[in-house]
Amino acid sequence: MSDTPRADFWFSIAVTVLGVAVVAESLRMPRLENLGVHPMSAPGLTPGLIGLVLAGLGAALFLRTARVQTAATAAPAESEAGGGRRLAISMALCLIYAIVLLGWLPFWLATAVFVFAFVLTFTWQQRAAARLAATAAALAISVAAAVTLLFARFFLVHLP
Amino acid sequence: MGALGGLAAAVGHLAQPMSLFNVAWATLLGMAVGMLPGLTATLGIALLTTLTFRMAPGDAILILICMYVGAIYGGSRTAILLNIPGTPANAASALDGFPLARAGRAGEAMGLATFGSFFGGLVGTLMLALIAPQLAEFGLRFQSFEFFWLAIFGVVISGRLTAMHDPIKGWIAGFLGLLLAQVGQEGIHAYQRFAYGSVDLAGGLGLLPALVGAFGFAEILCVMKQPAYETVRDMGGRVLPRMRDIAARWWTIGRSGVLGTSMGIIPGVGEDMGAWVSYAAARRASASPETFGQGNTEGLIASETGNNAAVPGAIIPVLTLAVPGSAPAAVLLAAMFIHGVRPGPLIMIENPGFVFEVAAMLFWASVGILALGLVLTKPMLVVLRVSREHLMPIIFVLCVVGSFAIASRVFDVWVMLGFGILGFALRQMNYPMAPLVLGIVLGDILDKNFRRGMVLSDGSLEPFFTRPISAVLASLTIITILWGLAPVCNAIARMLGRPS
Repeated sequence: MSDTPRADFWFSIAVTVLGVAVVAESLRMPRLENLGVHPMSAPGLTPGLIGLVLAGLGAALFLRTARVQTAATAAPAESEAGGGRRLAISMALCLIYAIVLLGWLPFWLATAVFVFAFVLTFTWQQRAAARLAATAAALAISVAAAVTLLFARFFLVHLP
Repeated sequence: MGALGGLAAAVGHLAQPMSLFNVAWATLLGMAVGMLPGLTATLGIALLTTLTFRMAPGDAILILICMYVGAIYGGSRTAILLNIPGTPANAASALDGFPLARAGRAGEAMGLATFGSFFGGLVGTLMLALIAPQLAEFGLRFQSFEFFWLAIFGVVISGRLTAMHDPIKGWIAGFLGLLLAQVGQEGIHAYQRFAYGSVDLAGGLGLLPALVGAFGFAEILCVMKQPAYETVRDMGGRVLPRMRDIAARWWTIGRSGVLGTSMGIIPGVGEDMGAWVSYAAARRASASPETFGQGNTEGLIASETGNNAAVPGAIIPVLTLAVPGSAPAAVLLAAMFIHGVRPGPLIMIENPGFVFEVAAMLFWASVGILALGLVLTKPMLVVLRVSREHLMPIIFVLCVVGSFAIASRVFDVWVMLGFGILGFALRQMNYPMAPLVLGIVLGDILDKNFRRGMVLSDGSLEPFFTRPISAVLASLTIITILWGLAPVCNAIARMLGRPS
C-alpha cells in the first residue's frame, strides 16, 4: 500500500498533532463579540474546520501505517547513500547562499561564489583541476553578470 | 458565431510584430524549461510572473501563456529522447515515444508529438472560446455556499486523482495547502491568524515564493539526489511527418483534444490526467492495443494531444470561476490578480473581450510550438546536453531572485526555502504537489465563503446541502471521498461480483 511506511508512520503523527494544535489555536482566537460581529464569522472558524479534517486524515494514515511500520527496514543501497551525500551538499550550498552570502556580499559576488562552489564541488573528479576551475569560474562570472544586468536593467526587478 | 467571431477578431488583433516577438521568445523559453528534467511549467510560470509584473498586463499574460504551452509541449522531447518526462504531463508520452526513438525514429516521434500538441491546443482553444462564456454565465448562480463546495471539491478531486494509489496522501496535501493559506491577515475582520506578532507572517505566505520553493528548490534537491541523467548525443530520422499519417489519426486527435480539455476543466487535475485519459482511450479504441507501450505512434499522439488540450481546459475555470484547473493554471490565476485582471463569473460582464484575448493567446502559442518545434528540433537538443551540475545552481539563483522580486522581502526567500524543503520531504513520501498548490490558492475562497455562508444562514448548515448546485457539488465530493476509500471500493466490487 505504501512505499514509505516508516516515514508515513511518523508523518501521520505529525499531521495529527498539527491538526489538533490548529483546532486548539482556532478555539483561542477571539470571537470579536465586542465588535458586534456575527459569531459565525469568527476568524477561527475555517482554520478549526481544516484542523479537524487534518487531524482525522492524520489519524486515518496512522491507523493504516501502524500495522506495517514494525517491518524490518532494509539498509540503504550504495547509490542511495551517494544520493544522500549529493543531497546534503546541495542543500547546504543553497542555504549558505540564500541565508548567509546574500546578506553579507553584494548580489553579483555572492552569486558568482555560489555558482563557482556548486560546479566545482560536483564536477571535481570529472576533469583536470585547472580546466575545471576555469570552467566553473567562467560560468560563475557569466551567470552573475547576466542575472544582475538582465533582471535589474531589462525586467526592472529589485535584486536581493 | 458570436464566440467564433470574437476569437477570430482577437487572433487578428494579436497579430502584431511585438506580440508575435513575445510569442516566439516566451514559447521557446517554455520549450527549454519543459525539456529540462526538474523544471516544470509551474516553476517556469512562477519565475516569469515575478519578472514580468512591471510589463503591461496583456503582454505579461501572453508571455506566461506561451511559457505554459511551450513547457507542456517541450517536455515531450525529453520523454522521447531520454525516457524521462520533461514535465509530469509528458509521462504517458514516454511509453511509446522512447521505444520509437530506440528504433531510430526519434525525429518522426518528435514531429508527431509536435503536431499532436498543436492540434490539441487548437481543440482546447476552440472549446475555451465556446464553453467559457456559458460557464461564466452559469457561475453567476454561485453564491457563498456553492463556492465553499467548489473549493472543497477541488481539493478532494485533485487529491484523489493525483494520488490514485493513496488518496489520503493527496487529501492531506490539499488540506495542508488550505491551512497554509490561513496564515496572515484574514479577509473579513483583518484579524492576524497564526502570526504570533510577526509583521512578515501577518502579511501571509506569498503564493509565488511558495510555488517557486515547492516546484523549484524541491526539484533541485530531487534532481541532485538522483543518479545523473544521460545527456543526448544525437537523434535519428525525419522530423516532418507525412500529412497522410496525421490525417489518418484525425479521430484520435479529436477525441484526445476533447478528453484532454475536459480533464483540464476539473479543478486541480490538469495536464497529467489529460494525457493519461487520452492515452487510455486511444488504447481501448485501438485494433492492436498490445502494441501500446512498444512504440505505437497513436499512443504518442493521443497523450501529447491530451496534455496540450488540457492547458486551455485548465484555464477555463480560471477565467470563469477563479478556480484553477491545474498547478500551472494556479500560478496564471495569481498572475492575473497581480496584473489587475479579476477573473470569475463576472468576467463576461466586466471584461467580455478578455476570454477571447486569452483564447487568441493560446492560439498563437500553439502556432509557436508548431513552428519552433519543427524548425528548431535539432538546435534545441543543445538544451539537453547541459549537465545538472551546471544547470541547478543557475536555477537556484533564479528561484532566489524570483521569490524576492515581487515584494522585495527577504522573508519571501525564507518562505521559498521552507516550501522547498517541505516540498522535497513530501515528494520523498509520495505526496502529490498539485493538491497542495490548489489548497493554497483556494484557501482564501474557502475561508471567506464558508464564513459568509454561515452568517447568511445564521449558523445553519442546511443551505450547504439543500441548494441545488450546492447539493450536486456536495454529492460529488462525498462520492469522490467514498471512491477513494478502499473498504468502500472493495464492498462495491464484491457486490458487482468482481475481484477487489
